[in-house]
Amino acid sequence: MNAIELHKLRKTYTVKQGSGFGRKTAEVVAVDDISFEIPEGQSVAFIGPNGAGKSTTIKMLTGILHPTSGEASVLGLVPWQDRSKLAYQIGAVFGQRSQLWYHLPPSDTFELLARVYNIGKNDYRKRRDMLIERFGLAEFLNTAVRKLSLGQRMRAEIAASLLHNPKVLFLDEPTIGLDVVACQELRDLVSEWNRQEGLTVLLTSHDAGDIEAVAKRVLVINYGRVVLDDRVVTVRRRYMGSKILGVKFHEIPREIRIPGVTVLKASSYAMKLEVNTEVASIDRVIHKVIQAGPVADITIEDPPLEEIIAHIYSRVNEPDYEEEVIGLS
Amino acid sequence: MIRYFNKFINYLGLALAYMRFNLRAQLEYRQAFISQVVAMFVNDAFWVVFWCLFFTKFPVVRGWTSKDVITLWAINAAGYGIAFSFFRNVNNIPYLIARGQLDSWMLYPRALLPHLLVGTMSATAIGDAIFGYAVYGFFIRPDIPHMLLFVLLSFGVALVFVSFSILVGSLSFYLGNVEALGDQMRGALVAFSTYPASIFDGAIKLILFSFLPAGFVGYLPAQALRELSFIPVLEVFAGGFVMSCVATFVFYYGLSRYESGSLMEMRG
Amino acid sequence: MIASLRKYYWIALMAARTNLAYVGEVAARSVFLAILLYIYLRLWTITYAQSNATRLGDLSLEQMLWYLVATQSIYMSTPKVAQNLDQDVRTGTLAVQLVRPLSFPLYYLWNALGERSVRFGITFLVGSIVALILVGPAPLTVPGYLLLLAALPFAFCLDFLGYFLVGLGAFWLEDTSGVLLIYQKSVMLAGGLLIPMELFPDSIKPIVQALPFSSIVYGPAHLFVHPDLAELGNLLLKQGVAICGFTVCVWFVWTLAVKRVHAMGG
Repeated sequence: MNAIELHKLRKTYTVKQGSGFGRKTAEVVAVDDISFEIPEGQSVAFIGPNGAGKSTTIKMLTGILHPTSGEASVLGLVPWQDRSKLAYQIGAVFGQRSQLWYHLPPSDTFELLARVYNIGKNDYRKRRDMLIERFGLAEFLNTAVRKLSLGQRMRAEIAASLLHNPKVLFLDEPTIGLDVVACQELRDLVSEWNRQEGLTVLLTSHDAGDIEAVAKRVLVINYGRVVLDDRVVTVRRRYMGSKILGVKFHEIPREIRIPGVTVLKASSYAMKLEVNTEVASIDRVIHKVIQAGPVADITIEDPPLEEIIAHIYSRVNEPDYEEEVIGLS
Repeated sequence: MIRYFNKFINYLGLALAYMRFNLRAQLEYRQAFISQVVAMFVNDAFWVVFWCLFFTKFPVVRGWTSKDVITLWAINAAGYGIAFSFFRNVNNIPYLIARGQLDSWMLYPRALLPHLLVGTMSATAIGDAIFGYAVYGFFIRPDIPHMLLFVLLSFGVALVFVSFSILVGSLSFYLGNVEALGDQMRGALVAFSTYPASIFDGAIKLILFSFLPAGFVGYLPAQALRELSFIPVLEVFAGGFVMSCVATFVFYYGLSRYESGSLMEMRG
Repeated sequence: MIASLRKYYWIALMAARTNLAYVGEVAARSVFLAILLYIYLRLWTITYAQSNATRLGDLSLEQMLWYLVATQSIYMSTPKVAQNLDQDVRTGTLAVQLVRPLSFPLYYLWNALGERSVRFGITFLVGSIVALILVGPAPLTVPGYLLLLAALPFAFCLDFLGYFLVGLGAFWLEDTSGVLLIYQKSVMLAGGLLIPMELFPDSIKPIVQALPFSSIVYGPAHLFVHPDLAELGNLLLKQGVAICGFTVCVWFVWTLAVKRVHAMGG
């Protein structure tokens, strides 16, 4: 059974340009006939560059925005028609927008949420105690939110969004501004909840770490369209066949032309190369680089997921990109 | 019918819960809270002092005496106080719409407008409400029917204030952020309704019973209390009811155009 | 000396220019001003008619409306000195500003004066247009304008000092908006925003005239519709005395406050 289904969902905005009498309106497509399905219990990372339409899609799926055309159902409901009904069954954490009361302790927000979601007293207590234990909220449960660290606040935030036992959780940039430890804690909690409670998770993030830790499947969108839909492991394996080579020279080097090597960045004394290791072996490339000029420094790195994704973005309009080996020049 | 009644009770419970938590949040800064309430009380008192000064020099303005103007101020302050101490959020509507912050309210399984309205409270407005009842009680020394009528009217006036604010605020769906305009419009409404109503006539009077409903928050309540008559009270409530219907329609119709913040402010 | 003066002059100029950018807000305020002036006109027209007088105090109905244009422009042009200072104290911006090679209160003063002159100019212009339409140019005289201009700078300085004192309250109070509201209403009522001093009951007239608020609002506005050199002399003297008094207060509170900044470490 699918938790989320989208069929040709589309959203356009009209934007006014210019001013006065010469004013024109232009149509901007934010989400362009997007279709996908997410089965119950799956955790999916939803990524794309700024303005790709991620947030707009999530806002349509939570009933905040009306689509221009197309269909969608979340847990069998049409979000923008049954917004209230659906809200009982989904939870959402929207980036830096907090639902905790700033001047009150988290426990007070929980109590108010129990009211808002009409949770019975006993259910509420059971659920709250469980969340307190699992999210380790006890030590700061009665401290005003303004005095909490960002990490503590985020934990409380997610716990608050799980209070009414939602079946689907939307997370929009949940780790922005968190330190490494807090990020890790948060990812662990979400993925644990996903595995043990069968919670369906749809996550948007700019952080590759979030995606790898939480999601099983990755959906990349750009210009309002899905450009890649695959398992996170596959994406990694397929596009990890490359290394990033950073070289600094003492003098201006000769031109380097090796099959399987792309110049990502170059200035007169330094360059960044992407090496497709299936075509060109790393030691051969290094050999050639040393021949090109006196080397001052050299580094070898795995490409971060961000860059892999950036690559995918840049290949949207090339039809056979499936067959193409990324990095060939 | 019973279902609707239950629903009403449920929302009333929710409103009470919000009040409790709002009050608790405000009391985190007890000194600030109390000073604001007191300051608003004093603020209103300054106006009454002004009118007393005015009327010692010019005892009657077209049939209106200082007693009438004090009554006018009292009913205005009481209605305004009730409206904004319970429904403070109504003033935030333009901001919430223009900044895309309705989102957080739309994620809750509640009717949007009522839930939104009970969301925040204002400390200063409590000062207004206290002032209104206190001044009417102590300066006018009403008998019981007058006092009852006053209390009833204050709710009608509050209804008009809230509806007007929803209406003006919802213009943000159509025109972009109207915060400054909204503040000035509310200011104009209060300005028109706190001067002796008898100084206005002609076309202005027409405006005061339509676009800028100062007639419903000033003229009619004052008339009702002066003549101890029930018809103006009905008119106030009828006006408030019509306005609230229009406001609700404009709000929900605008909501389908809601863009969750301008495209510029969207985060991917 | 000249160089340091020029520095503050630039601060004022920058503030003035930034303020010109808020056209929308200015428009909304203008509409509100027009509405207020209309209400005043109605109130006073009827009051004059019922009193069977052509003059109340020493003003005709036309002069009364122009008086109100001047008082409203002074009152509505107040910059957000207290609110901004309150914020600066709470966010620690003040501690940062203290490092700069200029006097913080003077920086605030010139900033406020720059902002205020623009706001006053615009409000007064709008008010004048409304008054021209409503009652015509009756009492406009060149000396009126000159005396208004002569009386305004000190009035604005005096008013600034008042707001600055309120803002400094942020060092000790959780919230200064309440105090601010009361200060504003004192300026309104005791400053003669709605009725000129002459129409106050005799029993309280001397008290209100002795308070500094009347030299902020009533003083300049009355000179505008009723130019009189001797009155200007009196007013300037009163303003001078009040400014000295307020400056001493600000200086005293400021020294206490700065100690607190150092103690709290910003």
